[in-house]
Amino acid sequence: MTEPEHNLDAHLGRRGPSPATACGARDTAVTRRGFLKTGALIAAAPLLADVPVASAQSPARNVTKVHDFQTSADVARAEQEGEVIYYGHDSEQGIAILLEAFRKDFPKIKSSYVRLQTGALYAKITAERSAGRFGVDVLQLSDISPAIDFQKKGGWEQYTSPEYAAYKPEYQSTPAGYFGVPGVGFSGISYNRAKVKPEQAPKTWKDINNPAFKDGISAKLATSGMQHAQWYILRKMYGNDFWQEFAKQRPKGFDARAQLFDRLAKGEDRICALAEYAGYTLYQEKGAEIEFVAPPEGMPAIAIYIGVVNKAPHPEAAKLFVDWALSKRGQLVYQNQKILLYGSLRPDAGPMPTGKRLADFKLLFPTDWSDYVASHPVFVKEWNSIMGL
Amino acid sequence: MELDHGLVSLSPRLVSVLVGGGAAVLVLYPIAYLVQASLSVGDPQARPPEAYGLDNFMGLGRYAHIFGNTLLVAALATVLAVIVGFTMGWILSRTNVPGRAAFEQLMAMPYYVTPLMGALAWALIASPSSGFINQVWRALGGDGHVVDINTPWGIAWVMALFEGAVAFVMIGAVMKSMDPAMEEASQVLGAGRVRTMLRITLPLVLPGVLGAAVFVFAEMLGSFSAALVLGLPNRFYVVTTAMYQLVSQYPPRFPTAAAMGVSLFAVMFTMVWIYRRIVSSGTYVTITGKAFRPRVMDVGGLRWPFLGVCVAYLTVAVILPVLTITYASFQHLTTAFPRAANFTLANYRTALSLDAVGSALGNSLLLGLATASIGVLLMGFLSWLIYRSRLPGAGVIEYLLMFPQAVPRLVFAFGMLWAWLIFPIPIYGTLWLMLIAYLTVFLPLGLRTISGVILQIDRSLEESAQMCGATWGYRLRTVTMPLLKPGLIAAWLLLFIASVRELGASILLMGPKAKVITPAIVESWFSASTELTAAMALLQTLAVITALVLLFAVARRAVQHAGE
Repeated sequence: MTEPEHNLDAHLGRRGPSPATACGARDTAVTRRGFLKTGALIAAAPLLADVPVASAQSPARNVTKVHDFQTSADVARAEQEGEVIYYGHDSEQGIAILLEAFRKDFPKIKSSYVRLQTGALYAKITAERSAGRFGVDVLQLSDISPAIDFQKKGGWEQYTSPEYAAYKPEYQSTPAGYFGVPGVGFSGISYNRAKVKPEQAPKTWKDINNPAFKDGISAKLATSGMQHAQWYILRKMYGNDFWQEFAKQRPKGFDARAQLFDRLAKGEDRICALAEYAGYTLYQEKGAEIEFVAPPEGMPAIAIYIGVVNKAPHPEAAKLFVDWALSKRGQLVYQNQKILLYGSLRPDAGPMPTGKRLADFKLLFPTDWSDYVASHPVFVKEWNSIMGL
Repeated sequence: MELDHGLVSLSPRLVSVLVGGGAAVLVLYPIAYLVQASLSVGDPQARPPEAYGLDNFMGLGRYAHIFGNTLLVAALATVLAVIVGFTMGWILSRTNVPGRAAFEQLMAMPYYVTPLMGALAWALIASPSSGFINQVWRALGGDGHVVDINTPWGIAWVMALFEGAVAFVMIGAVMKSMDPAMEEASQVLGAGRVRTMLRITLPLVLPGVLGAAVFVFAEMLGSFSAALVLGLPNRFYVVTTAMYQLVSQYPPRFPTAAAMGVSLFAVMFTMVWIYRRIVSSGTYVTITGKAFRPRVMDVGGLRWPFLGVCVAYLTVAVILPVLTITYASFQHLTTAFPRAANFTLANYRTALSLDAVGSALGNSLLLGLATASIGVLLMGFLSWLIYRSRLPGAGVIEYLLMFPQAVPRLVFAFGMLWAWLIFPIPIYGTLWLMLIAYLTVFLPLGLRTISGVILQIDRSLEESAQMCGATWGYRLRTVTMPLLKPGLIAAWLLLFIASVRELGASILLMGPKAKVITPAIVESWFSASTELTAAMALLQTLAVITALVLLFAVARRAVQHAGE
C-alpha cells in the first residue's frame, strides 16, 4: 500500500499549510476537528430555533454500568420491552453482525431492522412519521444532510448518552443528544496491478485525470455521501475545472463500494477514483491484485450518525443500543468487523484490524458545513451529468 | 338473487361490479398518489405537495436519451422473447419432438432463474475483460474481447432469456387449448407443416401471441435487474435504472421519477388499445362444443433439428447461467480458470447466517402461495368479467387493471407506500400489505395469461349451459373454469414465481418483521459481492423449485385420492 507519512495528529495543525491552501484554493483547513467543530456550529445555529425548547433539555437520568459501558437507560425496562427496531444504511451482512453483537450482550432484547440506502431509508421513515406511524427505535444515516433535517423535524429523541463523555463535543449534534458519530469512513484511489503499469500508477488526486485511464475508471453515483464529500473537497482544492476534466474520462458510476472493487479486482476497470479503505481491505483479503493509494493531499472522509428516534416504540432499548454503539465495546464491532471497518473517534479506541488507527491517515473534511450541505443540489446535477445520467 | 344449487348467490351484475370495482380501487388508490407526486413542484419531500404544476413533465426532455434507450432494449427484447416463446411453444405443444414432456417442464426454468441471476451469470460469462469467454479467448492467444454483454443487445438478450420466458408460458397455454382439427384440415388440403404453422396456427394463437407481446413489452419497459447489472458498466441507463437513482438520492426526487412513471402510462395505453383492436377485429375461437383432444403433428425428420433448438435454448437460458452461478458461489473471486485456493464455502456460511435467507425466504414462499392462489381466482374472474360478462364498462376495467404494468414497480411502490400508510386498518409493515401489493402489481400478468385462453372459448358453450338452466355461477364453475384449466395453471405458476422473485414493490413495503428475500439478494450485489449474491440467488432458486415439486406432488396425490 502506498501511503503518505501524514498522520491525523500531525495534520491537526502541527504542519504547514494544506495542499489545498498551497494550490491557492480557499483554506480548507482540512482537519477532522476543524470541520466538525466549525461545521456543526454553523449548521446547528439556525436549527436551534427550530428545536422545541422543551426538548432542548433532556432530563437528568441515573447512570448505570452494564458490561463495561455506561448507560442512562433503564436496563430492566429495556429487557422488558424485549426488542429494538433499527433502520440503517449498512449492508445486510454488516447490520446483521452489529445486531448480533448487541444481542449477545443483551440476549433478552430481540432486534429487527430495515436496510435501505440513506436516501430511500430517509424517505421511508419520514413518510411513516408523517402518517403517524412510529415504528423505529434507532436510526443510523450515512449523510449529514438528512441527519440535520431529521433534527429540524423533531425526529430524533434528545438523549444525552453517558458515552458521549468519551467524544469531543464537535463529534455530537448541536445541541448535544440528538445524534452521535459511531464511525468515520474515508477513500483514496485504488488500481488493478495487472492493468496499470507501475510507472502509470496514480499517486495524487490529479492523476485520476490522466487520459491513460479514459474508459477504465470508476466512481460512485450521486447517491453516495462519500462521493459528495470528494467532489466538494477536490473542487475546493483544484477548482471547478477538475471535475470537468474528470468527465472527459467517461467514468462509470456505481452505487456501492462492492461493485467498484468487484470490477476493479476482475480487471473490468483499471482504476477506482473513490476507493473506500474498508472496501479495499475486504478485496485485498480475497487475493485481488489491487493497490490502495492514499494521495498526499489527504483522503475525503465522512461520518455516520446514530441516534434514538422520537416516539420510539421501545425507548429504553433504543437508548441502551445507542449507548452500546458509542461505547468502546460497540466501537470494537464498528471498527474491527471488516464488513463495517469504520474508524472510531474515541480516543481510547484501539487500532483497526489492518493495524492502523484513524489518526494514521490524513483525512479531508469540508470546513464550512453549511456551504457543504448547500452544495448538494449542485453536486447532484453536475455528478449525474458526469456519469451520463 | 338467484338460486345456485341450493346456495344463495348474489346477482352477477352486483358481484361483477364489486370485484371489478374493488380491483380498480386497488390500482387507482396508489396511482392517485403517484399522479399527485408527479404534479408536485414544491419541496420534493413534502407530503402532501406544497404546490402543483407541470414542471416535472416539461423537464423530462432532458431524459429523452434514457426514454430512447428504454424503448430500444424493450423492443429488441420483446421481439427476441416472442420469437423464442412462439417457436418453443409451437415445437413443444404441436410437434412430436423427442423428450417433449421433459422440455416443457424445463422451459419454466429460466423464469425460476430470475433476471438478476441471469444478468450476473451473463456478466461473468461475457464481460469484456473478465468474462469467461473472453478470458479463454485471450488464453488461446486472442486479443481484446470477442463478446461484450454490456451493450443494448446484451441487455436485451438477457432480458429476453429471463423475463421473456413468460411469453412461452402464455403462448404455450393458448396452443395447448387449440383444437388440432384445423391444422389437420390444412394438411389434408395439401399445406405443408411450416405453411400450416404460419397460415393456421399462428393466426389462431394471435391473441395469445399479442397478449404475450404486449405483456412482455411492458415487462421489459419495467425491467430493472438486467439493465442495472449490464447497463451501468457502459453508462447505459433505462427509465427504471434512472428512476432508481432519482429516488435513491438525497433528497429523493420523487416528483421527477413519478412524472417518468406516469408518462409511461401513455405507452401502456397505446399497447392495450392495439391489443384490444386486434382481438376485437377477428374471431379466435378454437375451443368449441365439438370434442377434441390436443394432438401433436408428426414432423418427421425435423424432430432432430427441433430437439437441437430446445437444447440450445435451455443451454443459454438455464444450464450455462446456473453452472456459472454455482461455480461463482464457491469462489472467493471468480475467474474462468479454477484454483484450489480460490474455492470457499464462506459465501454459503454467510448467506445461511443472514436473516434474509431464513425467515425472509419462508415469507417469500408463503406470499407466493397466497398471491398465486388468490390471484388465480381473482384474475380468472376479472378476465371473464372483461371478455365474457358484457358488463358495461368492462373495457375500462381492463385499461385500469393494466396500470401497474405501465409503471416500474419501484415507483409504483412509492404510491402504495403513501396510500397504505394512511389507510386506517393497520396492515402497513405486515405481510398482509405485501399480499395486497403483489395482487395489485401482478393483476396484468394474471389477466394476460388467462384472457389469452378465455378468448379461445366459444361463447356458445356457456350459452348452451345457460339454455339448460345453469346459473351464471354454476356455468362459471362447471363450464368456463374447467376449459380455462391450462391457462389457470400457467397463471398460478407465473404468479407464484413472480411473487417469490418480486423486487421493486417489496423494497419499500417490507417492514422489519415482514421481509422477503429478493431485495436482500440485490442488496448483497450492491454491498457484498457477486459471489455471495450467487450463493443467495442459488439458495432462492433451489427453495422455489423444491416448494413447487412438493406442491405439485401433494396436489397430484390429492387428485388421485379424490379419484379413488
